[in-house]
Amino acid sequence: MNYNLPKVQYLRIDHLVTQQNRKEKEFLSQFEQGDYTLESPLVVDNPYLINPLAAMVLFETKEEVSVTVTVKGKLDSTADISFSFGPSRKHIVPVLGLYATFENTVQIELSDGRNTTLMIQGGDLPVLTQQVEKIFTSPEYMADNLMFVSAAGKSLPGGYDHKGDCRWTLAENFVFDMKRAKNGNLLCGSYRYSRVPYHAVGICEITMAGKIVKEYRLPGNYHHDQWEMEDGNLLVLTQDFHRDTVEDQLALIDRETGDVLRMWDIRGLFPMNVGKSGSWSDHDWFHCNAVWYDKVTNSLSLSGRHQDIIINIDYETGALRWMLGDPEGWPQELVDKYFFTPVGTGDFDWQYEQHACLITPEGDVMCFDNGHWRAKKKENYWLNKNNFSRGVRYKIDTEKMTIEQVWQFGKERGQHFFSPYISNVEYYEDGHYMVHSGGIGYVDGSASELLLPAFLDPNDPSHVQKSITVELKDDVVMYEMHLPTQFYRAEKLSLYHGGDNLFLGDGKVLGTLDVTPEFDTVPEAEEVLEAPSEWNQIKIVEEEDRFTFHGRFSKGTLLMLCLENEKETHNYYISTTARPALAMCVGSFMAADDRQLSVNISKLGFSGVFKVKYILDEKKFNTGITITFP
Amino acid sequence: MITEIKNLEEFKTLTESGKVLVEFYSKTCGPCKMLAFVLKDVDKTLDNPTIVVVDFDEYTDLKESYDVKGFPTMLMLKDGKEIERMQGLKQKRAIIEMIEKA
Repeated sequence: MNYNLPKVQYLRIDHLVTQQNRKEKEFLSQFEQGDYTLESPLVVDNPYLINPLAAMVLFETKEEVSVTVTVKGKLDSTADISFSFGPSRKHIVPVLGLYATFENTVQIELSDGRNTTLMIQGGDLPVLTQQVEKIFTSPEYMADNLMFVSAAGKSLPGGYDHKGDCRWTLAENFVFDMKRAKNGNLLCGSYRYSRVPYHAVGICEITMAGKIVKEYRLPGNYHHDQWEMEDGNLLVLTQDFHRDTVEDQLALIDRETGDVLRMWDIRGLFPMNVGKSGSWSDHDWFHCNAVWYDKVTNSLSLSGRHQDIIINIDYETGALRWMLGDPEGWPQELVDKYFFTPVGTGDFDWQYEQHACLITPEGDVMCFDNGHWRAKKKENYWLNKNNFSRGVRYKIDTEKMTIEQVWQFGKERGQHFFSPYISNVEYYEDGHYMVHSGGIGYVDGSASELLLPAFLDPNDPSHVQKSITVELKDDVVMYEMHLPTQFYRAEKLSLYHGGDNLFLGDGKVLGTLDVTPEFDTVPEAEEVLEAPSEWNQIKIVEEEDRFTFHGRFSKGTLLMLCLENEKETHNYYISTTARPALAMCVGSFMAADDRQLSVNISKLGFSGVFKVKYILDEKKFNTGITITFP
Repeated sequence: MITEIKNLEEFKTLTESGKVLVEFYSKTCGPCKMLAFVLKDVDKTLDNPTIVVVDFDEYTDLKESYDVKGFPTMLMLKDGKEIERMQGLKQKRAIIEMIEKA
């Protein structure tokens, strides 16, 4: 009996790194074999497959000359994007900031005075890349910067100029935080989804043209945030899926090898079941959503959304130094030793379910105070329609253990700036900040009370999702951008930078995945000869380091994936139960039909050829697919 | 031994003394179906544990009196008093550990 197609679909896909390496070799080989000049260069659209607003222009000159590339603004020169590259005879010039679905004018000027004008068609924007609804700023204020946003809902990363035009996007969803590394590349979460609800296999370093220089995989995956240390090594938020809590560990990764050099465990620093926020659960008790290294104090600050707390620990010893948050519900001995007491006569509010903590050069603490629930006891919780979110700056004195609120923006906007989740702040200099409220959601014109904005229905006209990014200088709004869905964080960056704007050579996949945890108990089930139902839409996608089992299953059915050969079996329980998520920081991986499930099984832990079967209630089905574990 | 209760009196009798693991389940819940197999496994492994199974939707009074908010939920009772609670599907070894610790 043929169990295979059409009931079960099988796909083998290469890692994006493999695809990009192949594509780069192709265009470099074409360049080497051809005779490309300034007048007749080789133009490669979307050279790394995922940035339709980038191109590569390649040509040779007889003499060593510098090259200036300019993508001309659509309407006027204030929107020009320009960069000069150092002298060379071989010119491989990344062209960034093309307009989508538009014939762009691109000027190439050489230092010897020669120039040419190319017309380069910008690719179409991916369907999920969003367009700006409203923007207020000036070209003088934004200069050559774009506002980059990382997706949280059904959208993709984007970069928008001062007119609100999209000049950068990626066709794959690189999730969570997006920071510029010292070499100019972006550090962000990998596009490869790993585990429910939003854990990615690791983080990626990518060029602005979209080339993955390195993917750093972690056994405990990646969530929320990362930080580049002075020596280039990376701090990454992670966890251990072999224990019963999540989002409570931090890893230090070797930048070159991807090896995990050190781990910090938040568990054990203080009790897990105290100071609970309204979104607390025993599984996701801390929900660490930010890490910040402060060189002055050689310490790490970590934001714990589900305990309404920002903690600071010593980098070397891992010992607790201070805790910033509402002390209600915390043991008195911890409050006495680590908590701050408000001082001063100005306005003061604690932060609740905060994100993106940072330490300013002055030693102050800033964060995005989401304000979700805005109280520690249920009877005091705020309704969202009466609530507010804000960027806030606290001055702390770690000798006297006092705290003073010295700045905030957002409270005055009330529910219209309220994001119960995600969002960030940026510090540029004293008095100059960004506040990004990325998770706004309304139902019938009021802040959504029952559903996190991530779960609002974009097809329901009474549901509105929004993201508002504001920059202020001395309390004057210098920038405001509205986008029509949720964005995890915003980051103001230029497309070109002072580092290497071109990275040639093979991208690498480093680190390791985890051995996927198995389930000890196997339900009794009758192995049947019938093929899986087409309704279940079973699809198996194999990659170099894992495979993914996709399917549609009714809520409440019992489902287990089984890998079998003559010698051994490996079993993985798959939940089909709809669970109200208390934190859905990145909903990008959620299927529109929540009966659609995807489960990733790493190829680590054992070897051999295995049949892929699954138990659905009392029956065991054979998909007809075999997977080889190296 | 695993006993699915048929009335409140039976629940009271089974749980008033000794170590008892109580599971609240729902017929519509996938993890509960899996947990039923896990509990059978626990029952085979341990020396005659008392495991009491309660239909979450049928025994609303019990659900409320134990403040059970979701399913599956397992309560470890000792002489009728709750000493530990587990929410969601757990592996056999975690459940055995909870019973042995009680």
